[in-house]
Amino acid sequence: MLHHLKIWLASARYSVTRTLMFRFDFFLWASVELVWMGVNLLLISVIYGHTDSIAGWSKYEMMLLVGTAMLIQRLLFGFFWSSLFETARNIRTGHFDFFLAQPGNVMFMATTRKLDLDSLVNTFVAAGVVIYAANQLGLSPGLADLALYLLMIGCGLLIHYSALVLTVSLAFWITNAQGLEGSYFTLFEFSRIPRQAFKGAANILFVWALPAVIVSNIPAHTLLHGFDPGHALWLLGATVAWFTLACTVFHRGLRRYSSASS
Amino acid sequence: MLTAFQKYRQAFLVGLQGNLVYRWNFALRGFFSLFHLVVVFILWGAAYEGQATIGGFDLAQTMTYFVVLLLMQFFIGAFNEDYQISEEIRNGLINQFLLKPVNYFLYRFSIFLAARLVSGLLILIPVAVAYPFLHEYLSFPDEWWRLGVGLPAMLLAAVIQFSIAYCFGLLTFWFLEIQGFVILSLAVESVLGGQLFPLDLMPEWVFRVAQYLPFYYQMYFPVAIFTGRIDQTLAVQGLGIQLGWVLLLLLFNHFLWTRGLRRHTAVGG
Repeated sequence: MLHHLKIWLASARYSVTRTLMFRFDFFLWASVELVWMGVNLLLISVIYGHTDSIAGWSKYEMMLLVGTAMLIQRLLFGFFWSSLFETARNIRTGHFDFFLAQPGNVMFMATTRKLDLDSLVNTFVAAGVVIYAANQLGLSPGLADLALYLLMIGCGLLIHYSALVLTVSLAFWITNAQGLEGSYFTLFEFSRIPRQAFKGAANILFVWALPAVIVSNIPAHTLLHGFDPGHALWLLGATVAWFTLACTVFHRGLRRYSSASS
Repeated sequence: MLTAFQKYRQAFLVGLQGNLVYRWNFALRGFFSLFHLVVVFILWGAAYEGQATIGGFDLAQTMTYFVVLLLMQFFIGAFNEDYQISEEIRNGLINQFLLKPVNYFLYRFSIFLAARLVSGLLILIPVAVAYPFLHEYLSFPDEWWRLGVGLPAMLLAAVIQFSIAYCFGLLTFWFLEIQGFVILSLAVESVLGGQLFPLDLMPEWVFRVAQYLPFYYQMYFPVAIFTGRIDQTLAVQGLGIQLGWVLLLLLFNHFLWTRGLRRHTAVGG
């Protein structure tokens, strides 16, 4: 564990040095993400300009939900996205060999190599959106509530990470379908919608079968309405299940990997 | 004239073959776009609960807007043309066009048309599969003038889409990486092009200002004509402004190309 932490810190140091070398890129990408976050908030603002409620959620409740989804997304992008995106490409091209020779767990080495500081900077903006919405709603969560919220954000991050590892692992089997990982963006969109809006088959698929909705809805619900043991167990169970599945599928795929010809 | 046509016809056919190789990528993208449509249906369905209209349009009219928007994105939207042009400049592949009687813009535009023909036909498959679920939400106006004005608007929108992508591709003459600019521009285009929500839901003054910007004409305008969100007067007026933007963008493309070539260094054989 400590060994992996040291490796991760070395990678983080490398990422920071690299960012300092390409400062213009850092500011450009941080602005790009900031603008896109603004676009998501604009969508809410426009819809609520014409209605008072979406599935029983008021404007600021919705803003808190979207802020939570953005927070998880920024963390995912900051810690894992670049590495995961490159992993699929490396599997296709055979450059994945590089990770097999490294002194650590292959999945860990391949998926945590790069940090994106521009995304990590924007986590503060996303947190700001959550704080602003909570303020508007007159919420005053205690320390325990905040700790629980952050823990749930961690679970949401791990679920998204696992789902992305699963998507990327498909490259071990399907080598000629590029951009699969990019398609994952679509699933993020579900995390910005209140759970109560899903009905019938959509409820079964996106709330129960896929973890797209609960990752953001459960933390937001906890902040809005307090601790619910059922919800907490649901999120924890989903986290364990998806992470186990991701590890299994990744290592199964790894057995198929045969360098450049894979 | 005929020789020129033959030249770009060949480029179109080559583009067709090239894009058919990536048919699975387009099909996959089309499939995931249906997920986006599901998001739209759930979100707007929930927003319409308890009220018959939003911005003067009912649920079916708004859903029709998003379905036509999806089709339009695959028929006329620029996908990765900016990156392709950027790659060709960076790798020196444009050098061959400097020595041949081939106009680079027309060459790339022919390939763009071929690519959109393939992606446009492929999106019809998932939409046809989803049709049994969609049809009760589809509500089209029955005015035939919309087809007469909408089709040229759609063609001009394709030129605007490609021209903007071409401009960003040409930025490679000045910048090594254009990805950041492209994604930044995509955010502006998504909002002001009505790809996130119908533009007419914005405050009146924003909607009016947007009508003088090119983004309005690259997606919202043809979709709004086909789905009955704008009337005949506004549509005909808009067609004139759209034509103006096409000419301006073509001139700007030419300007960027000639200025960019001054900075370009062709190395090797």
